[in-house]
Amino acid sequence: MLWLTDRHYFLLAVMVYGLSTVYSLFLWRKGFRLHDRANYFLFLAGFGLQMKAMLMRGLAHSQCPVNNLYEAIAFVDATIVGTCLVIGLWPRLRYIGAFAAPVVFAIGVFALMPGLDTPGAKPQFNLDLVSLHAALTLLSYGAFGLSSVAAVMYLTQEHDLKFHKLRAVFSLMPPMDRLEKIINRTLWAGFILLTTGLAFIPLLLKGRPEARLTDDPKVVWSGLVWALYLALLIMHGRFHQSGRRFAWGAVGTFAFVLLTFWGVNLLSPAHRF
Amino acid sequence: MPLIVIGLSHHTSPVTVRERFAFPDATIPAALEKLRQTRIVTEAVILSTCNRVEIYAATDLAERQAMLALRQFLLDHHNYREPIQDEIYFHGEAESLEHLLKVACGLDSMVVGETEIFGQLKKAYETALQHKQTGRHLNKAFQKAFNVAKQIRTETNIQRGSVSVGSVAVELARKIFSSLDQHQVMILGAGETSEKTARALLSRGARSIIVSNRSHDRAVALARELDGRAVHFEDWAAEFPGIDIVISSTAAPHYILDRARLEPLMKLRRNRSLLLIDIAVPRDIDPAVNFLENVYLYNIDDLQAIADDSLRQRQEEIARCTALIRQKAGSLMAAEPLSGMNQASA
Repeated sequence: MLWLTDRHYFLLAVMVYGLSTVYSLFLWRKGFRLHDRANYFLFLAGFGLQMKAMLMRGLAHSQCPVNNLYEAIAFVDATIVGTCLVIGLWPRLRYIGAFAAPVVFAIGVFALMPGLDTPGAKPQFNLDLVSLHAALTLLSYGAFGLSSVAAVMYLTQEHDLKFHKLRAVFSLMPPMDRLEKIINRTLWAGFILLTTGLAFIPLLLKGRPEARLTDDPKVVWSGLVWALYLALLIMHGRFHQSGRRFAWGAVGTFAFVLLTFWGVNLLSPAHRF
Repeated sequence: MPLIVIGLSHHTSPVTVRERFAFPDATIPAALEKLRQTRIVTEAVILSTCNRVEIYAATDLAERQAMLALRQFLLDHHNYREPIQDEIYFHGEAESLEHLLKVACGLDSMVVGETEIFGQLKKAYETALQHKQTGRHLNKAFQKAFNVAKQIRTETNIQRGSVSVGSVAVELARKIFSSLDQHQVMILGAGETSEKTARALLSRGARSIIVSNRSHDRAVALARELDGRAVHFEDWAAEFPGIDIVISSTAAPHYILDRARLEPLMKLRRNRSLLLIDIAVPRDIDPAVNFLENVYLYNIDDLQAIADDSLRQRQEEIARCTALIRQKAGSLMAAEPLSGMNQASA
């Protein structure tokens, strides 16, 4: 197995996530009634393979493997899967993996695009701080991804209950208020991680008076994402926004992150890997 | 395994007969002792519920002889002198273990898959065990029955879903609220079904009940029974900010709650989820309220449809459970060398 590179391991992980997606369709067709852990074990296998890939890449670089778009997306993918594995230990939350599988599979396929894994120029910043900044912000996107997965579960349950679908009663999905708590907590976790990650920017720019924050589209974009999530949390916590709108907000904001992440990185001189 | 069963159940006899053969809980130890003294059985367990009276026994007698003696014991013990034909059934060694497993799994119950019988069977066994009326054979058979019942409950859908309006309401509430102990229930109209539904919610931990009825005296009486609080019918809307589940069954000829009335109340409730169970005919709640966010409205037909579907699914599971039970009973019978009764009947 020595000929297998880290990308081969990641490819295998994505294939396992693909299998999990297919199995999730079967679970969905069965109304999420089955007491089985097949999806959990598929995630566990995929996560193991992905960890192996990330470890190989990290050891090769002797630093956290977040140096190009491929590594960054793979890192977000691993965060979502890892958190799903922890949350999925609770029996009533076992189906979070079934909802997360299509997301992690799609992200994984995107990460495998050949143009994304190119060795970029070494950043002109303190490498340790860059690793910390990148890892924290990417972890935050993982948490936001998970909140959007929980939000899709919430919206599915809400739709089934509203329209009196039998699946609402017979499925083994968690209750609505628990899902709302999960969305809220994962959003808070993501928000704190993103805030901490962004707080490193002034430290990274220290000693470079010519660099202005507003010059970099990625920094502006990150500020916008930060503001969107802050607004979402305030609307829910302070103004008692309904669970449904909160869930749609979590899904919509993460969709915005996913759809613009690549483009904004291409535009950013400081983040062009 | 020399295990036999004799008894009556809702399958074979009406309640007028079953009630004559019932063993009150307090008399079971004495009845077991009396049965033992007759020397018909070496071990015995008496199961007496509203739907069945059964004696599970281990005996050294031949099957036919044991059956006649136990039948006579039942008639004499209850002083039953009327003619009796097929009301009392008997299962010999070949079917008795399978029957016990079916009873433990709720497959022989009036509501297929119900779980109450498991507790009743366990209690019957523990009573006999406590009074030293069981031995090697019955201990093994009952332990096996409890294990198989647990396995069937987890591996099949026989006990899944709710088959009554009250339990469906509980099930729906638990799909919205993770625990009911933080949530208050309001009953509008003190009818029988709403009372049963409220009791089901209370038994699952609902925090408290508020009762409102056009006849305030009836509301007070029901509130007292349910350990709740009564409010005048004109004032029920004022209680809404603290309510999460409403069961409505008034005799009003028109909607008592519509979208225009509920919308401002939802703002007062800070958009917390609200489950509305409308079991009144004609309906009390305008179906349009279901379009409000965080409001979930179910009427009597919706609840009945869910209950019927649960029952249908349970029926579909019977064949699967029966096959599993046959396999378990067969393996136990194969593992246990035939003894006593079979040798005697040979």
